[in-house]
Amino acid sequence: MPQNETIQDLNLDEYKYDFVTTAEPVFRAQKGLSEEVVRQISAHKEEPQWMLDFRLKALKVYESKPMPTWGGDLTDLQNVLDEIYFYVRPQDRMERSWDDVPEEIKDTFEKLGIPEAERKILAGVGAQYESEMVYHSLREEWEKQGVIFDSIEDGLKNHPELFREHFSTIIPIGANKFHAMNSAVWSGGQFVYIRKGDTLDTPLQAYFRVNQERMGQFERTLIIVDEGAQAHYIEGCTAPVYSTESFHSGVIEIVVKKNARFRYTTIQNWSNNMYNLVTQRAIVEEGGHMEWLDGNLGSKLTMKYPSCYLVGEHAHGEILSIAYSGDGQHQDTGGKVIHAAPYTTSSIVSKSISKGHGRSTYRGLLKVHEGAHHARSNVECDALLINDTSRTDTYPYIEIEENDANVGHEASVSKIGEEQLFYLTSRGIAEDEAMAMIVRGFIEPIAKELPLEYAVELNRLIELEMEGSVG
Amino acid sequence: MSDTMTTTMTETIATEGVTDALNAAAVERVSLGEPEWLRERRAEAWAVYERTPMPTTKLEEWRYTDLRTKLDLDGLRLSESETAPDDPAAWPARLRETMEADHEASGHIVCIDSHVVHTDIDASLAEQGVILDSLHDALESHPELVQEHLGAVVPAEDGKFEALNAALWNDGIFLYVPANVKLDLPIRVTRWLSEPGTAYFSRVLIVADRHSQVSYVDEVVSDDFADPSFKSSAVEVVARDGAVVQYVTLQRVGRGTFVQSAQRTLAERDARIDTLNVGLGASVHRVDLNARLLGPGANSEMLGLYFGDGSQHFDFNTSQDHIEPNTGSDLLYKGALDGKSRAVFRGVIRVHPGAQRTDAYQTNRNLLLSPGARADSLPNLEIEADDVKCSHGATVGELDSEAKFYLMSRGLSRTQAERLVVLGFLGEVLSRLPLGGVVEKVVGVIEEKLSQHG
Repeated sequence: MPQNETIQDLNLDEYKYDFVTTAEPVFRAQKGLSEEVVRQISAHKEEPQWMLDFRLKALKVYESKPMPTWGGDLTDLQNVLDEIYFYVRPQDRMERSWDDVPEEIKDTFEKLGIPEAERKILAGVGAQYESEMVYHSLREEWEKQGVIFDSIEDGLKNHPELFREHFSTIIPIGANKFHAMNSAVWSGGQFVYIRKGDTLDTPLQAYFRVNQERMGQFERTLIIVDEGAQAHYIEGCTAPVYSTESFHSGVIEIVVKKNARFRYTTIQNWSNNMYNLVTQRAIVEEGGHMEWLDGNLGSKLTMKYPSCYLVGEHAHGEILSIAYSGDGQHQDTGGKVIHAAPYTTSSIVSKSISKGHGRSTYRGLLKVHEGAHHARSNVECDALLINDTSRTDTYPYIEIEENDANVGHEASVSKIGEEQLFYLTSRGIAEDEAMAMIVRGFIEPIAKELPLEYAVELNRLIELEMEGSVG
Repeated sequence: MSDTMTTTMTETIATEGVTDALNAAAVERVSLGEPEWLRERRAEAWAVYERTPMPTTKLEEWRYTDLRTKLDLDGLRLSESETAPDDPAAWPARLRETMEADHEASGHIVCIDSHVVHTDIDASLAEQGVILDSLHDALESHPELVQEHLGAVVPAEDGKFEALNAALWNDGIFLYVPANVKLDLPIRVTRWLSEPGTAYFSRVLIVADRHSQVSYVDEVVSDDFADPSFKSSAVEVVARDGAVVQYVTLQRVGRGTFVQSAQRTLAERDARIDTLNVGLGASVHRVDLNARLLGPGANSEMLGLYFGDGSQHFDFNTSQDHIEPNTGSDLLYKGALDGKSRAVFRGVIRVHPGAQRTDAYQTNRNLLLSPGARADSLPNLEIEADDVKCSHGATVGELDSEAKFYLMSRGLSRTQAERLVVLGFLGEVLSRLPLGGVVEKVVGVIEEKLSQHG
């Protein structure tokens, strides 16, 4: 489907990533979730017995847990889950050279601009298509130094001990229903290991693409940042718009060891009929520094609360999140920080914009355990409402068991001020542009933290979404 | 107790034979002699109570208060005293002292256990039509007024405790202020609880007619009880167009009692209802307060103050419902927690669709004074209109060590410095509703509590 022109000619009604490529998968499991599907996935991946056992145990946990009744509206989800394919294998092996990736799949990622981005700035890039990573490369210099940037499957094969030491230890199977589901059917995702003391000055990057209709994507990412190491990881997600709903449930586990620094950036721009239920958790050891930068622009419903477990003294956790909800969208996002050691600090900044019939929800937990003395934390949530049909909610949970701690939470809700608009329009700026300027100013504290090309993309997207919003 | 029981086991006593257990027969008994509509209402409420499961921590509203360990309704009996003395000389000394510490008032009510034992109201106000009476008497003297509002503001259907109260209430207060009548001095209610192991159910109904003005202060005092007791109240406040109501409740009961209070305020056009909940005593103190801003221009200031020590548990569950445009609400709940005490604040601002130009604020601040203290805070927002100004904030922290250090460097002892910092912190609440008598009493109790702080 030649729709290249849509990339140049973006407009409000068109979703940029709404194109379909025609690559035929080499294998597709039957519809729905069953023990048989789980066994098939494990067999296809030629996994060790312990992993199959783990998957089957997770399946039982998944089945035993009720559908959540909080957060977004999941009443239709079971119907969606019955109809989707949990595992679609696009090709037989993963490529390390871009030229070897099958033409159709390559076409998809070319449209997303990935190889170009890789040439320019990235230390490494991985691309997942349907259920598997199809392409992976790491800059030679890092590879030589022993940085591991693999598909999760290769991580399990090539580094079995390191893998098993950490896999599913950060988030236990029982954490929530969708994490258990992912544990049963996970496929694709990254295995990353940054060695002690290494500093990667350019980001690692992964792209997730769902191409097929009725497809569920369940990537699993495990990242270990060893003592004193520093790195930044970026993921982007897109899918074409189908008439039926799709499902994405990723799990990201991160260990930030002593004095290491790590930033994980997500720009999620799934199509507006995607259920996006993601579990992300980082364990931060002594003096470690973890940042989640979470942008949620697409999907029908996102439920995602990146968490930091601060388990070592002086560990620091940071969550910056931005959500945009247009018609038919509900972004139920936020963050969790658990202070479990003394002198730990954290900060959460959340900004949301709701437009039309969109709904943005901040949901967060801030917990200070007894004994985590000198813990400090601050949470700030700002919501911007564009229309009188838009909705926003704020549900912070603050649980403090330690008296020698200081935590604060603040939230505000506002509308674009008539005075601001009047000022700008009186200076000859068109109303649409004035709206966009105000919104850009609103999200600026987060946009400025993004790599340049993402910041540009975010700003452009906001501008487009603001078109025709006056009135 | 019937004589057939004398030889049976204690289990039987707890389940069947006791005539004062909380059961359908008790509902029958308390409604003897009441008008038919009220008897029916009580029976319906009991049915709601029976079919409503006891709230568990699985419910958001009860997430941090586990009733299984805190309240055993089956172990309680209804207050059994047939009468109480109406002669002040026969009242317990602490009750009298509590009243003597009060400032002037427009009228008084005194309750001992389940009985309203004293009522007085300024004669000129009575002439102007102000009604201050026990609910039972008001049912006879002003049946239409009572029937119109009683149970309409806090209906039995609201929940397990609301239903239990609606079925079993045995004392109540009715206050009616006619249109354009303004009371300069507050109405003061003083309650005394004397029976351990007992459940008390009371109701308050306040109706302020158009452009009237009234302050109401309700104080409850008791000694510590070895046997767990339960005090339940349902508070219904209606302010008609342009009326101004202040509702203040001062909870100073002894340890051993679970105090539960369901309160709702309805503010109509341009009305203003300010509330202050002070929690100092009790083992468990739970308040559900819902402020509904029903008419354009309606406003509500919602204040709360608590000081916990020992193993006290406070749980404030508030909601601010903005239903019409141009309404405002401002909530400030502050508390200090010492010992192993714990406080829960859960509040929500709801701006309903169409409630444009709402101004709503919500702040909860906690001071943890000891390593075993704990505070949970859940300030929520649900906004469905765009032209609004809403914000909320919550903090939990330790004593401001800089302020303490400053005071100590000026020659104050550590204890004195701490006292000043805590009083300054909590004083912000009192300064926003500075009712004579209330401030002194609250400060007195806080000072006493602080003097025991290690």
